[in-house]
Amino acid sequence: MTDVAVLLAVFAGGLVIGMPVAATLGLASLAYILFTGLNPVVIPQKMYAGLDVFVLLSIPGFILAGNLMNRGGITRRIVRFASAVVGWIRGGLGLTNISASMLFGGITGTAVADAASIGGVMIPGMTKAGYPADFSAAVTAASSTVGPIIPPSVPMIIVGSLAGISVGQMFVAGAVPGILMGLAMMVTCYVISRRRGFPRQEWQGWGEVARSVGSASWALAMTGLIIYGLLSGIATPTETAIVASVYALLVGGLVYRELPWRQVPSIVIDSAIASAGILALVGFANVFGWILVSERIPQAIASGVLSLTESRVLVILMINLLLLFVGMFMETIAALIILFVPLLQLATAVGVEPLHFATFAVLNLMIGLTTPPVGVCLFVCAGIARLPLAPVVRAILPFLATNILVLLAVSYVPALSTWLPSMLR
Amino acid sequence: MRHVETALRLLTALFRALVGVAFLALIAAVLIQVVGRTVGRSPVWTEEASRFALLYMAAIGAGLALRTGDLVGVDVFTELLPERLSWLLRLVSAGLVAGLCLYLLPMAWRFVEVGGFQTSPALGITMSAVHFSVFLMLALLGVFAALRAVAMLAGASDGRPEAVRPEPPR
Repeated sequence: MTDVAVLLAVFAGGLVIGMPVAATLGLASLAYILFTGLNPVVIPQKMYAGLDVFVLLSIPGFILAGNLMNRGGITRRIVRFASAVVGWIRGGLGLTNISASMLFGGITGTAVADAASIGGVMIPGMTKAGYPADFSAAVTAASSTVGPIIPPSVPMIIVGSLAGISVGQMFVAGAVPGILMGLAMMVTCYVISRRRGFPRQEWQGWGEVARSVGSASWALAMTGLIIYGLLSGIATPTETAIVASVYALLVGGLVYRELPWRQVPSIVIDSAIASAGILALVGFANVFGWILVSERIPQAIASGVLSLTESRVLVILMINLLLLFVGMFMETIAALIILFVPLLQLATAVGVEPLHFATFAVLNLMIGLTTPPVGVCLFVCAGIARLPLAPVVRAILPFLATNILVLLAVSYVPALSTWLPSMLR
Repeated sequence: MRHVETALRLLTALFRALVGVAFLALIAAVLIQVVGRTVGRSPVWTEEASRFALLYMAAIGAGLALRTGDLVGVDVFTELLPERLSWLLRLVSAGLVAGLCLYLLPMAWRFVEVGGFQTSPALGITMSAVHFSVFLMLALLGVFAALRAVAMLAGASDGRPEAVRPEPPR
C-alpha cells in the first residue's frame, strides 16, 4: 500500500505547486516505479501505447474545424438567426444568447471558444439593450457549457476512448442532454426576465427568419455533415473531422469570405498545439492509469464504496459530488482522464451503463467551467463585461441550479442519454 | 540574458513550423484515404501514415503547449500565495518538468532501440523511427521547461505561460 501512497502523494504535491497535470502524472508514475523497483522503460512504452490509439486521431481535426469556423464569420450569422427566432420573447436577447450557444456547440467542441465568441458579440449587445452587465455575462458563461455536450465534443472523444465506446455513440448520447440543458436554461432566463422586466425585440417577420437561416445554414450544415459521417459508417471519426475542417475552410474562405487566408497557417498551428497538449496528457495518463489498474485501485474504490452503500441512487450522488468538487479546481479533460476509469468500475458495479456514466460525467465537469475558483468560462465572460468576478457569480447562481437539476435528471434517467444511441445502433 | 529570449523565440518559431508540417501530413494522409476510397482504390499506407503523423504532431507540439499553457496545470493554489513564493513554486515546477523529462530520455532511447526489431507492416519503416516520437516529446518538453527555468532566473520571464492573445470575435 505504501507504493500507492507514494504515487498519490507525489501526484497531489505536483498539482498543488502548479505543475502541468501531464507532467505531474509522469512524475508520480516515475516515483512509484523507482520505489517499487520496476524498470522505468515502461514509461515511454506505456506513453506510446496510450498515444497510438485510433480514436485520438480525430481530436486535431475537430479542433481545427471549430477554430476555422469560429474565425470564418459564423458567430454573427448564428446570433442573427437565433435573434430572429426567439428575440421577440420577453428576455429575447438572453434567449438568443442561449440558443446561439446551442447552435455554436454543434460546430465547435469547446466551451471557452463559445464563451469568447458569443460573449464578444452578445455581452455588449445585451448591455446596450438595457440588460444588466452581470446578467449578460452570467447567461453567456452558463450557456457556453452546452457546447461540449452537443456534438462534436473533444471531452466525449476522450471518454469514448477510455470506456471503449465509439465516437458516434458518444456524440449522439450527448444530443438529448445538451438540448435539454439549453431549453432548461431558456426557461430560467425567461422567468428571470419576466420578473425583472427585461426588454424584448420586435418580431422581425418570417422573411428575416428565412434570410437569417439561409445565411447561417452553411455553418449549421457542418453539424449535419459530422453526424451523418459518423453514423452512416461511410467515414471514420478521423476522416469526418478532417473533411469537416476542409468544409469549414471553404465556407469561411469562399462562401462567407471572412476567414483571413493569411491567418490560416497560424490557425492550423495553434490547433495542432492545443491537440498536442491534450495528447501529452493522454500519454502520461496512460502510464498512471496502468499503475492504478495493476494496483487494483478501481476495484478497491468500488468495493470500498459498496461496503458503505450498495444503493444506486447514493452511489450516483457520491460520484456526482466528487466530480463537481474536482471540476471546481481542475480542467475538464485532465479530470476526466484521471477519474473516469477508477469511477467507471464503481458505476458499472451498481448497474450504470458505461455510455450513461460517460455522458453524465462530461455534463458534470462542464458545470465546473462556470464555478469559482477555476471557472474558465466565468473568467472569460466577466472579462468581456469588464466586471469583477463576484457579481457574475451571484448572477449565475440560478443557471447553475438549473444545470445541476439537468445533471440530476441525466444521472437518474438513463434513457435521456442511452435512448437515442440505441435507436441508431 | 538576451540570448535565452532569442533562443526561445527561434526554437518556438522552428517547432511551430514543424508542428504545422506534421498536422498537414496527417490531413494529407486522411484526405488521400477519403479520396482513394471514393474512387475505389484506397492506398494501404494512409492509415499508418496518419497515425505516425499524429505521434509526431503530439511530440513536436508538447513543448510548445507547455509554453502556451495548453498543457494545463492547477494554478489556483499558487496564485493565492505572495508573488515571491508563487514565483519560486513556478521555478520548482519548471525544474521538475525538465528533470523528469531529461531523466526519462535514456529509457525512451531504450524504447527507440527496441523498435529496431520491427518494421511497420504497411510503410515498411523501422519502428525505431516511430518510437522516436516519444523520445522527441520528452526531449522537447524537457528543453522548453529548462529554458523557462533559465529565463525565470535571468529575469526574462515570470514563469507563467505566455498569455494566449484573445481572438477578436467575428
